[in-house]
Amino acid sequence: MKLVLSWLNEYVDCELSGEELAEKLTFSGTEVEAIRTVGGAFPGLIVGEIVAAEPLPNSERLRLCRVSDGHETLPVVCGADNATAGAKIAFAPPGSTLPNGTAIGETTLAGTVSRGMICAEDELALSDDHSGVLILPPDARPGAPLAEILGEPETVLDLEVTWNRPDCLSVIGMAREVAALLGRPLRRPAVTLTENDPAASELVRVDVEDTELCPRYVARVLTGLRPGPAPFWMRRRLSLSGVRAISAIVDVTNYVLLECGQPLHAFDAARLAERRIVVRRARPNERMLTLDEAERALTPDMLVIADAEQAVAVAGVMGGAGSEIGPDTRETVLESAWFDPASVRSTSARLGLNTEASRRFERGIDPAGTEWASRRAAALLAEHAGGMIARGAVDVFPGGLPARSICCRFERVRSVTGMDIADDAVARLLGSLELPVTERTAVACVVTAPSFRPDLEEEADLIEEVARLHGLDKVPTVTPSSRVTSDASDHPFQALSFCRQTLVGLGLTEIMNYSFLAPALPELFGCAVADTVALPNPVSADQSLMRHSLIPQMAETLARNLARQNGRAALFEIGRVFRPGAKDSVGEETRLAIGLMGAVGQVGLRGKTLPTDADMFLAMKGLTEALAGACHVGAIEWKAESPPFLAPGAGLGMYANGKRLGGLGLLRRELRAEWRMRGPVAVAEFATEPLLEHVFRLPELNPLPIYPAVERDMAVVADEATTHGQIEEIIRRHAPDTLVGIELFDIFRSAELGSGKKSLAYAMTYRSSAKTLTDEEVNLCHETIRNALRETLGVGFRE
Amino acid sequence: MNAKAVRDIREQALSEANAATTAAALEAVRIRYLGRKGLLQDIMKGLKDVPPAERADVGREANALKKSLESLLRERKGALERAPAVGAAAGFDPTLPGVWRAPGVAHPVSRVIEDCVRIFARLGFTVAEGPDIETRYHNFEALNTPPHHPSLDALDTFWLASGECLRTQTSPVQIRVMESRKPPVRIVTPGRCYRRDTTDATHSANFHQIEGLYVDCAPVSLADLKSLLAYFAREMMGPSTDVRFRPHFFPFTEPSVECDFTCHVCGGKGCRVCKFSGWIEIAGAGMVDPRVFRQVGYDPETVSGYAWGMGVERIAMVKYGIADIRMLYENDLRFLTQFA
Repeated sequence: MKLVLSWLNEYVDCELSGEELAEKLTFSGTEVEAIRTVGGAFPGLIVGEIVAAEPLPNSERLRLCRVSDGHETLPVVCGADNATAGAKIAFAPPGSTLPNGTAIGETTLAGTVSRGMICAEDELALSDDHSGVLILPPDARPGAPLAEILGEPETVLDLEVTWNRPDCLSVIGMAREVAALLGRPLRRPAVTLTENDPAASELVRVDVEDTELCPRYVARVLTGLRPGPAPFWMRRRLSLSGVRAISAIVDVTNYVLLECGQPLHAFDAARLAERRIVVRRARPNERMLTLDEAERALTPDMLVIADAEQAVAVAGVMGGAGSEIGPDTRETVLESAWFDPASVRSTSARLGLNTEASRRFERGIDPAGTEWASRRAAALLAEHAGGMIARGAVDVFPGGLPARSICCRFERVRSVTGMDIADDAVARLLGSLELPVTERTAVACVVTAPSFRPDLEEEADLIEEVARLHGLDKVPTVTPSSRVTSDASDHPFQALSFCRQTLVGLGLTEIMNYSFLAPALPELFGCAVADTVALPNPVSADQSLMRHSLIPQMAETLARNLARQNGRAALFEIGRVFRPGAKDSVGEETRLAIGLMGAVGQVGLRGKTLPTDADMFLAMKGLTEALAGACHVGAIEWKAESPPFLAPGAGLGMYANGKRLGGLGLLRRELRAEWRMRGPVAVAEFATEPLLEHVFRLPELNPLPIYPAVERDMAVVADEATTHGQIEEIIRRHAPDTLVGIELFDIFRSAELGSGKKSLAYAMTYRSSAKTLTDEEVNLCHETIRNALRETLGVGFRE
Repeated sequence: MNAKAVRDIREQALSEANAATTAAALEAVRIRYLGRKGLLQDIMKGLKDVPPAERADVGREANALKKSLESLLRERKGALERAPAVGAAAGFDPTLPGVWRAPGVAHPVSRVIEDCVRIFARLGFTVAEGPDIETRYHNFEALNTPPHHPSLDALDTFWLASGECLRTQTSPVQIRVMESRKPPVRIVTPGRCYRRDTTDATHSANFHQIEGLYVDCAPVSLADLKSLLAYFAREMMGPSTDVRFRPHFFPFTEPSVECDFTCHVCGGKGCRVCKFSGWIEIAGAGMVDPRVFRQVGYDPETVSGYAWGMGVERIAMVKYGIADIRMLYENDLRFLTQFA
């Protein structure tokens, strides 16, 4: 909200500068986003009078105005509709300069010489209004400096009013705050009405059919109105508040809205069928042309103001074009109502119409102020639009005002705020906000919550009022102290933290992707749309699905880094994924994904060449084994897996204790081609819950071996088709208890071995817990294993 | 034998020891002088023949010979052993780059979360977590959000077909914890949140919050809250960081405040980062609204507490000087590795 300081001063004496007031407001709960100074000295700019205006023969819009500067008359070409003969205007004569630095001289427009310029508000940096030229008061003297008419520069504060304080969306509301902050009285403008017969009730009939959505409706009637602009000062204040001036009648309703926060609407009484106002819900399929010339489709949950035939306004949101005030309006029905906040909110959201009125109604206006605003507007209309006020008002208010009494305990104020606020200060601060103290005892006071403060419901709300007025800068700091709680466990968080640190230690860098992705991505990875969760109201199409897996974005991230010349990457992400469950429910699970690209993993100088598929695969396998080991998952079992996004034959699932922990593999070639990734890419994904289940397991200690170990090497010569896994399995099956270690330490191929052959060298460690093994015993075991390998796999041995 | 002769022997012995370039040569020196049949033994044996007046001098010199030679031998031996035996080996190049793998880097958002958790843990707060997909009740109603508050709008919140939503804040975790535990409650709740913001330099449709809640049966005040945040500010942003409160509005706290930290860039003097105010808005906080206590079945007359919440990305951006929130989700290694 824009707060014009000179306007504020009308209701409370405040000699503070814009900066000083902004500081006070900020520390009492109203944030000031900007302080602006509008206006200035306008050197060289003067009052001009348009003595004549005639159309230019060779232009549709432009007119040639004869502008008097008090001494001579100059020809000025102008395109504004309101630049008409007789108007006093802001004139920039040749040789002057506009506030934005534009030099004004003589020019030729549409073949006509134009000397000087008639200014609109935006050209004077008064507002961004360029709808017409600025019309000055009729008594302005041509040739007088413009600054004489516009007065001192104005200070305007841009306020961010919090959602709970609708009362602050008005100048009087802010004046009440300032009065409380400065300890000064608030001056409300006095309203005196001169009313005439007949009674308003004879000129308009009001039927409120839905008193739930419209608890109060006040209608007043004015007759004998004359067209024309509002007075200059009123137009200035509207302009400074960001509201465009239109005509005296409309401007008065806007002025009163800004002044007291009560939205008003003026209907052209002559255009209301049967001169009736019916407050009802819209009929099915009812349509209406709103003031902004848009046809609106209404639904029965929307409240409308109708005449005898049709809707003439969307209640609390916007009026209709059919009953709009125009130059011919002589008689008006002035509406001042209180509409249900939720109803206005949903209607304005559904119609996409956010207006000054709807913004106030949806937060809650003052039901008691409705009648005052109606009188205030009527008085201003009578004064500035020449209207006669019909006697009385039609005031439909069946519910009456709710009264809330709230008790505030002095000690409670002190114990909640931690500030030493005296009993008297509590009562005084509450009183300063127009919260009258109706009762006071030694320990508490009772206040009546005024109707303009719907946010005040209970003691805590009053404590906040006292705290903010007393000053939060007075809250002391003390040594933190409190009881320790013992029933809390944060193992899941700590386990993830451990997992993160382990991966960082293993050389991986953590990434974070959005929880949303484009539908094309899961599809690319072979995930059916039915297995993903779609957002009914996404921000954009490329963020319309919830991620079902971390792998697609991991691949995308690797690709993005490759494109940015980061060709070597070892990344991980920990995040939640989402899957559709039964009915419409959605399941979520925390996962860990790993992605490897380029020469990563090896210790030593890394080649410039891309790693082989096997290198990459084994790097990922080794990495995940290391992680699983650190997480104490126990013995790992690998099973071949072939999800659609992995290269055939290059996928493994990791199992421990019969539970699947996750899977890994090489990204399918076609997927890599999507992102022009030449080298192999390995990905893995784990569900963190089973992976981290045993992170905090206590270590089980075994006594150190007493007897020495004996090592024997064994070089197995096998066909290429024979796998290490097969060899290891045979060894384990035939090994005695004393075989405590098998380590593959070399693989080589040579011409000597012959093509299609390879040699796998194993270091085998034998040890007994009962005695020192003799060479003979070990040789016997070793020979048994060799025989078994020879018989089952047909392998040979190198000595 | 006189003192001068012994001194000469010492000089000779020391120069031989200095000249030795191998361990074997050193050992030979040791045996010649200090061995069982070495020169020192000879001197000692001959001591009885020295006139009594000179005996003390000779003895002193002999002792000095022993001490200084022993010390030199020890030193020379050490020096010889330390010498790079492989240094001479062909192809050894100590200037080659080391080959141990460097550690990776945690994401700055994780890092801020873990830093916060660690700091609050010192004050007895433990982590509590909740689901990303929340019920309308936990995310809004139980937190005293008025039914027509704009945050409930489909414009601001991601609603799912089930009627649930993606949580817009981590505050529903507070409700879940209070529903399941009796006071005292001391938790911090880090987690991912979602709002229908169009992504720009300071907004992201998903982001992270870390909130905290303390509820006790003993009176808890705004002063306790301020003290806690003051401690956190110093630990997180540096020892000269101060805090200040400004009144604000949140549906679930009363009174509600916004908490500013001293700008760590200018130290409060005013700069571009803090828009020349000297302060940076970091946290929203307040005393738990009694209406929230009633929702979870706590009696606001007997329990009281405070809650606060902070944007993790915001802290990361302020602390590390990140200008654009999108940097945090682009995952460019050239950016991430700077947080090592």
